[in-house]
Amino acid sequence: MINAKTHRGAILSFTLPTLVVFSVVVFYPLLQTLFRSLCDWNGLFKIKFIGLKNFANLFGEDLFYRSLVNGLWFAGVLVLVQIGLGSLLAFKISELREKRQRFFIVTYFLPVVLSVVVVCQLWVSILEPESGLINQIFKVLGLPFRQHWLTNPKTTIFATAFVNAWQFWGYEFLILLTSIKAIPSDYLDAARIDGAGVWRVRWHIQLPLLSEAYKIVFTMAIAGGLSAFSQMYIMTSGGPGTASYTLTYMMIRSSFYIGEYGYACAAGVVLVAQCLLATILINRFLNKNDGAL
Amino acid sequence: MILRKIFRAVIFFFLAAFGALNLYPLLWMLMYSFKDGTEIFVTNPLGFPQQFRFDNYVRAFTGTNIPTAFANSALVTVFSVIGAVFLASTFAYAVARSDWKWRGPARMFVMMGMFIPLQIIIIPLAILVRDLKLSNTYPSLIVPYIAFNIPFATMIFYGYLRTLPFELEESATIDGATFYQAFFKIIMPMIAPALISMVIFLSLAVWNEFFLALMLINKTAMKTLPLMVLAFQGHFSTDWGAIGAVLVISSIPTVLLYLFFSKQVEKAMSISVIIKG
Repeated sequence: MINAKTHRGAILSFTLPTLVVFSVVVFYPLLQTLFRSLCDWNGLFKIKFIGLKNFANLFGEDLFYRSLVNGLWFAGVLVLVQIGLGSLLAFKISELREKRQRFFIVTYFLPVVLSVVVVCQLWVSILEPESGLINQIFKVLGLPFRQHWLTNPKTTIFATAFVNAWQFWGYEFLILLTSIKAIPSDYLDAARIDGAGVWRVRWHIQLPLLSEAYKIVFTMAIAGGLSAFSQMYIMTSGGPGTASYTLTYMMIRSSFYIGEYGYACAAGVVLVAQCLLATILINRFLNKNDGAL
Repeated sequence: MILRKIFRAVIFFFLAAFGALNLYPLLWMLMYSFKDGTEIFVTNPLGFPQQFRFDNYVRAFTGTNIPTAFANSALVTVFSVIGAVFLASTFAYAVARSDWKWRGPARMFVMMGMFIPLQIIIIPLAILVRDLKLSNTYPSLIVPYIAFNIPFATMIFYGYLRTLPFELEESATIDGATFYQAFFKIIMPMIAPALISMVIFLSLAVWNEFFLALMLINKTAMKTLPLMVLAFQGHFSTDWGAIGAVLVISSIPTVLLYLFFSKQVEKAMSISVIIKG
């Protein structure tokens, strides 16, 4: 143990810079957002405290509810694809030998290290109604099914969610895989000696021990889905019209494009409240499994 | 016994096929960066390029600011990563291995940062940058990047540092080392694997960062690579071959970095999961 009294100056020199940077860049803006959400603010000097009026306006706007629903759909797709696929493959890959595992980890994780801009532009060309890859494949297979994936209001949110899912499912996969590998093999061996089959081992031993990992991936997928922005911005500009708007998009538009900063802060507060709620629910739901062990 | 082997081989085949399918869009992108318009859309959309049209790449370089954007991204990444790793490791050290009475709250304070999404602070942050007259400057990106990556890096370093025996400092003091000497000459080398993992991991994250850069930078000369690639959506609107070339060029750095250091990235992720749990 370093004695804090003797080394007071040194300790402060190590901790103060971080604390200062953090407070100025993260903490202070956070407080500002919370406070300004209760104000009418044009981004400059005109600030007027108006209580919960921003929130009232927010809840009265149609666009808000569409954004909310889009966020939920987005999160749903992410959970299904990223966690579903990620889990399935994590369990399967964990059973392979080390060298072979590496090959699959790299293959599945590669899209994660690409820039989101590159991925979105690539998928714009893939999803292009006339000459994009997907519709070309349908053509080759002789199927008359062609879709305007990004310009059809009904499919656009799913298309953008799918792009995000495609890029990042490898991340969830890797988290789950490393957690599965971290389970001491004695637990599994003991169970197998006791005669437990694969599914019982999975359900009663592996999954409860993976509850922390699942908390992480669920939080990532759901919070990520609720606050989705980049895919919409790059691929459809929130369109067609406002069909693929999300809360983050509303926030950015209200502030930087329309100049209603207080309103935008209110949208931000709602977004964060959503993510917080999701995190709490996830924690509560996944803690139940701890009892099983 | 043989049935089992066949079963295993089949599973392996499906996993590999799935991997190939997953990566096919990237292969398609690579291929069409060498094709021209007609080949991409009409004659040969799915196949290998009939002719390698390097002029796509020439147009990509001449029509865009790739070198500038590359330089911007590189500069921002290097400073952000070094800054974050330095601040996080020193902070984690002071908090993990001393009996400073504020170490608990300080650590909690910084850890909370991991749960604060970028969206909720971006508006005041953008305004703060503007009011400090730092718009479109390197520090306007570097400082936030450092701040945002400190919590994660601190968590990793803290976990690592707690596992080292405390006798290390005692024997260092007996040998006459100061606080700083003990840290830089003895402790730092011992956490080198964690430092390297973090450097790789954070480099990938900062290089590709899009949202913050989008909000804070609008001057063309200052744009980082992701922003520049986005700007070309409009510029090259029908020149798919050149667009493909731009996409490929901008992906090379991180793909290479990852292929070389995939082990370190995996290590960073696995430690973070174990520590969070």
